[in-house]
Amino acid sequence: MKAYLFRRTFFDSFIFAYLVMVLLVVVASPSPEEMLLLERNSILFTVAMFIGAVISSGLNKASNEKLHTLGESLFQPQYKKATKNEVSWYKTMAGWQLTVFLCVTFVVGIRVTKFSLLELLNEDGFAGAVRLFKGLFSPNFEILPKAVLNIIETIFMAFIATILAIPFAFVLSFFCARNIMKGPVAYAIYMSLRTLLNFTRAIEAIIWAIIFSVWVGIGPFAGMLALMIHSIASLAKQYSEMVETVSDGPIEGIQSTGATKLQTVWFAIVPQVILPYISFTVYRWDINVRMATIIGLVGGGGIGTMLIQYQGQAMWPEVGCIILVIAIVVWAMDQASAVIREALK
Amino acid sequence: MSNPILSVKNLVKTYPNGVQALKGVSFDVKQGEFLVVIGLSGSGKSTLLRCINRLHDPTSGEIFFEGSDIAQVQGEEVRSLRKKVGMIFQHFNLVPRHTVLSNVLMGSLGRVGSFKSIFGFFSPKDKTDAHKYLKLVGIADKEKIRVDQLSGGQQQRVAIARALAQGPSILLADEPVASLDPATCHTVMDYLKKVNKELGITIVCNLHFLSLVRQYATRVIALKGGKVVYEGSPQDITEEWFEKIYGQDAKEVHIN
Ligand SMILES: Nc1ncnc2c1ncn2[C@@H]1O[C@H](COP(=O)(O)OP(=O)(O)O)[C@@H](O)[C@H]1O
Ligand SMILES: [Mg+2]
Repeated sequence: MKAYLFRRTFFDSFIFAYLVMVLLVVVASPSPEEMLLLERNSILFTVAMFIGAVISSGLNKASNEKLHTLGESLFQPQYKKATKNEVSWYKTMAGWQLTVFLCVTFVVGIRVTKFSLLELLNEDGFAGAVRLFKGLFSPNFEILPKAVLNIIETIFMAFIATILAIPFAFVLSFFCARNIMKGPVAYAIYMSLRTLLNFTRAIEAIIWAIIFSVWVGIGPFAGMLALMIHSIASLAKQYSEMVETVSDGPIEGIQSTGATKLQTVWFAIVPQVILPYISFTVYRWDINVRMATIIGLVGGGGIGTMLIQYQGQAMWPEVGCIILVIAIVVWAMDQASAVIREALK
Repeated sequence: MSNPILSVKNLVKTYPNGVQALKGVSFDVKQGEFLVVIGLSGSGKSTLLRCINRLHDPTSGEIFFEGSDIAQVQGEEVRSLRKKVGMIFQHFNLVPRHTVLSNVLMGSLGRVGSFKSIFGFFSPKDKTDAHKYLKLVGIADKEKIRVDQLSGGQQQRVAIARALAQGPSILLADEPVASLDPATCHTVMDYLKKVNKELGITIVCNLHFLSLVRQYATRVIALKGGKVVYEGSPQDITEEWFEKIYGQDAKEVHIN
């Protein structure tokens, strides 16, 4: 109940403060230096949020449902969502709030991305793109052997990263499952592990690759470590969600025989989760092959590193060959993992 | 045998959400009895059985099992208690994807070390026992079949074999036939009776139907609102008692 009020008010006031800030920028047209005054601008934003919160609470207190805000209709509890008057959207506060928000965001977005038809149709630029595409579509197959060797390196990098992640993720998944971690101490472990894993996952694999390429030097080892860390965090989350959906019946059945905790996990939980585990893992390998390519771009080794070298020298026919190899392998991995996952159902 | 195998004294169970499921339950179970617990759903039958094998922790009271109070024991002692107490559930609680034989072998987990069992090293004695109990419940020919392929009645028989593989001195059965059709119902109850008669294993069984009670029980207790309201022989349950246990509007249903 409290959580719902907080979410509603925060959502509404955030949108309000955002609109106020956009309005301020348009009306006062601040200088670039003023835009950088993070402290002052944060205070302005906070004040605007406060006003927004007051407005949101006021509107939602009104008995007339048409005045209720977008936050209210988004976050209100299910029992309130269950009944609703049929009202056209343009007659409601929430409808207008959403419309104004989307329109303003679209206009601001166009400005921020410096969207420009002029540049898209600029003659010089366009000629450059044509040259590039010509190169891409007439790939230079002389470098094919090297590209194949490099993509094999990438596939193995992804494979080893996945394999090494499995035991860590497997063990972690039980410590991150709410239905196993009962009791205060267990809950504390559960919470800290969850937080740690969420944090690890929030850092993209490519950033891990940058960190590891400084640590162990540029190359496939750095890329593999980056993928492994990311895979551990992702698999542990997916695995633990599976553990949380297991049925209690077999667990009680095994417990009542006098089995140990380890035996209970192995005999009652593992059989219920093993197939989805394998399925997630195959999919993770598939994802890792794609990620390994990207990671190569920042020096993680494999085909990505090869690609960035030729791209730097604007050797488009060679780049074309590499892209072709990547596309075929990614497509094949995608198909294979889909077939395997289907068979595991 | 004068000393009861199981003696429950003033057992109270309050769930964390405040529901008081047992409000001071006391009764004795003698060696070799087939005790049936009856009562409306919500009267605390399952809670009672789960307290006895410590799937739940009793709030207060004593449970003497083979002479010692196990109501508050922890850790290793809970495990050694459970080894001697077999449990049969309404929904069988077998492990899916495993075969019949493998499920029955799991009954001996309490005797096998954790690592040995994980690698599937069960002793030859455990294996012959598993076969013996499968034969006893009449499904020896199904040992290689995955349990999820079996009918409800067959699954419950596997569950009985698994409980027997523990080598228990008492079996707790929580509405073992409630999710079975009437015909299968009698088969399963007959096997429980056989276990009771031939192996001499004491049985405490929750049941719903009074007609089954009359047929199988050697003694009956009735729970109502977490208290024992009747204790006696199944033949002595009169219409009057029946109304008291199940409420004024209840009618006795017969299943055959
Ligand atoms: N895990 C639980 N948490 C909270 N209350 C429970 C739990 N299990 C059972 N209860 C409550 O305890 C009472 C007795 O339930 P139960 O022992 O399952 O009765 P029965 O098996 O006779 O139907 C019921 O009111 C039920 O709602
Ligand atoms: Mg019950």
